[in-house]
Amino acid sequence: MARLQMQKIGICALKKDRQALIEELQRKGAVQLVDQEPPEEGAFGKTNTMEQRSGYERTIQACKQALEVLDKYAPVKESPLAALEGRRMLSPEEWKKRTREREELEGVARQINALAKQAAENHTQAGRLQAQVQGLEPWMGLDLPLDFKGTKKTAAFIGVFAGERDEGALKEALAQSAPELEALDLWIISRTKEQTCVFVLCLKKDAQKAEDALRANGFSLPGLPGDKVPAQEKEELLEKIRQCQEKAGQNEEELRQLGSRREDLMLLMDDSALRAEQQKATDLTMASRHVFWLSGYLPAKRAKEIQSLLEQKYGAVVQFEEPAPQENVPVAVENGPFAAPVEGVLNSFSLPGKGEIDPTFMMSLFYYFFFGMMLSDAGYGLVMVLACGFCLVKYKNMEPSWKKTLKMFLYSGISAAFWGAMYGSWFGDAPKVIASTFFGSDFAIRPLWMDPLAEPMTLLMICMLFGIIHLFAGLGCKVYQSLRQKDYLSVVSDALVWYLLVGGLILFGLSSQTFVDMLQLDFLLPAAVGAVGKWMAILGALGVVICGGLGYKNPLLRLVNGLYALYGSTSWLGDILSYSRLLGLGLATGVIAQVVNMMGSMMGGGVLGAIVFILVFLLGHTMNIAINLLGAYVHTNRLEYVEFFGKFFEGGGEPFVPLDVHTKYYKISEVK
Amino acid sequence: MSIGLALAVAGAAIAVFGGGSGSAMGVGIAGQAAAGVVAEDPNKFGKVLILQLLPGTQGIYGLIVAFLVLSNIGILGGSADVNMSIAKGALYLAACLPIGVAGWTSGKAQGEASAASIGLVAQRPDMSGKALIFPAMVETYALLSLLISLLAVFGVNSLAI
Repeated sequence: MARLQMQKIGICALKKDRQALIEELQRKGAVQLVDQEPPEEGAFGKTNTMEQRSGYERTIQACKQALEVLDKYAPVKESPLAALEGRRMLSPEEWKKRTREREELEGVARQINALAKQAAENHTQAGRLQAQVQGLEPWMGLDLPLDFKGTKKTAAFIGVFAGERDEGALKEALAQSAPELEALDLWIISRTKEQTCVFVLCLKKDAQKAEDALRANGFSLPGLPGDKVPAQEKEELLEKIRQCQEKAGQNEEELRQLGSRREDLMLLMDDSALRAEQQKATDLTMASRHVFWLSGYLPAKRAKEIQSLLEQKYGAVVQFEEPAPQENVPVAVENGPFAAPVEGVLNSFSLPGKGEIDPTFMMSLFYYFFFGMMLSDAGYGLVMVLACGFCLVKYKNMEPSWKKTLKMFLYSGISAAFWGAMYGSWFGDAPKVIASTFFGSDFAIRPLWMDPLAEPMTLLMICMLFGIIHLFAGLGCKVYQSLRQKDYLSVVSDALVWYLLVGGLILFGLSSQTFVDMLQLDFLLPAAVGAVGKWMAILGALGVVICGGLGYKNPLLRLVNGLYALYGSTSWLGDILSYSRLLGLGLATGVIAQVVNMMGSMMGGGVLGAIVFILVFLLGHTMNIAINLLGAYVHTNRLEYVEFFGKFFEGGGEPFVPLDVHTKYYKISEVK
Repeated sequence: MSIGLALAVAGAAIAVFGGGSGSAMGVGIAGQAAAGVVAEDPNKFGKVLILQLLPGTQGIYGLIVAFLVLSNIGILGGSADVNMSIAKGALYLAACLPIGVAGWTSGKAQGEASAASIGLVAQRPDMSGKALIFPAMVETYALLSLLISLLAVFGVNSLAI
């Protein structure tokens, strides 16, 4: 349960060592560099590496794109658990060796992107030509080019009428439009619902009249290029399409062959990311002609190691100082093996802000406990333990964040198995159903403690008791935190008075017959305890009113604000009732599991019944695990974030992000 | 067949109907938002799917209550209590109302909160932990009504009327 102690580090060294020193720091991953204003006078100034950096960024983009192309044309089969495998380890020498030819690798990335573009263009071109072929289809019966205008004595019109028209009607319509036409002949070449393609011939001298008549009847030109006979044109188009497709095929074949360079591209991408980050760090240094300096934060426990490394290897001057109280120091937390897995849950809320403690350990205690209560099935818990355990054992090289998440679910699974056994729930009532359906026995696994369906009221009270413990633990954290900040007033006003008020009210309630009857409890505290509780509550309430009014001079305002603070005690009722979700979600798991088992056993015993049962069992329980895992996760988080953190924790700390190897596919092994 | 039994079955139906409708609307609303986000960035599928599923619980709560009612009155298991009094049937019906009604309204409201949270994740993927909490706030009221429905069904079951 600790925030890492941070120190400020200042490093001064020769400029010729700058690149090497920054690389060294990056591999160590211990220092977060900070930006600083250059002194107004003097030889020191800032460095600007924007240009190189954007070069690396472009390479990263190109690699990303090229890898996506390769995923499409030369896919590699990945197991669904590939994300757990973690980054591959390379020694610094191997890394250097494989990225020596950066330009060649960049060329590969560019080539892949260019090929993909060409392939796409060829496909588009083929599609365009295909559309032209389709446009020609109605004209296949014509053995003249589409732009045929007639012979020496005749004029020809080739074109379309909208809609389906027949020959006789068309001729008649034309004759009506232009009665003086001597000779006009019309052939229908093809006819569909949308259009009628025609060939019209008349004497050359009548050409203008004929055209007017045609236009008047909705004639239009085909709108296709055509200095060739349609059939021949089609042949040529088909040939072009074939060529385009062939070219696209060649592009794709080349891409498939380039699939073997995938790992090189991954490495290039990582190498570029590495260098871009180095450049960024370089930008944060101050340099004169021969010397440079930088400052940053590092965890105090790594100070010695970094100091001796830099002093020995680069002859650097390394200085440490404690951060000033008003400084915004980046935050990192470190916890033991039990609590560390829930750090992710803390991170998704916020890291502890200024002066706040790291709540991870207290949180983890309740996290596993509540998660188990909500999932509350021994079978499901064991499934979780087996699945997470298998992954943890099989994938040793897993990234730390994954490892933490899986461990969190592993521990939560153990807790779920514990609670399942307490409630007697093993895949719901599966043992009982199997025994009675297939073996005709009345065997059942008895709950070790209680059956929630039989005594929901008792369990509800117990859930609220756990809630009160959780909330009081939150107040305890507040006390600890305020003591550390030497804010003794806050110890009284934010914690002590509430302990008195809420604790006193509970004691008082439990000594009253009506209250105990209402809750169906079978014990009653003696009246003396009740009296103590009463006075505690009165004292607490007075304290709340007084503390709530502090900070106001006007006595009336004091009273009003004090009473308003007392009104805030109603939120405690809501907070405590909120823990009824422990029961609600626990019951939900159990009842759905029972529904599944009941549906599975509907076919009765026998072989067919067994097959149906197994299928329904697998499908139903998989679904139930999924839904209830989600529910348990979300609602455990909620209890921690809203109820628990609400008592003492605000967060808002800036995360500590050291200069580090932030890569995607590869990492560098330590130099021994 | 007695009216009491019919009332009890109607109660179970209301629980499933109300909870299911609420969840269907909620998951639908959230699903539209989720599809929009995934269209922009397919990598966010996992994150937004979880958010889409959150309003799905009301339907399950309705199912739980209905199942308990049906098995208590013997419709499930084939030993239906045909002589159930009207009072008892009406009590079962009343016990189903909290989840039937609050399941409906909270499902829809939670779907809207989920959709907003999905928008949050689309812009700030690092906020996915906090984004879960907003819909979970709405869920509280579905849980409370589930709890009261359950306690009431248990209570009615043990009444000798």
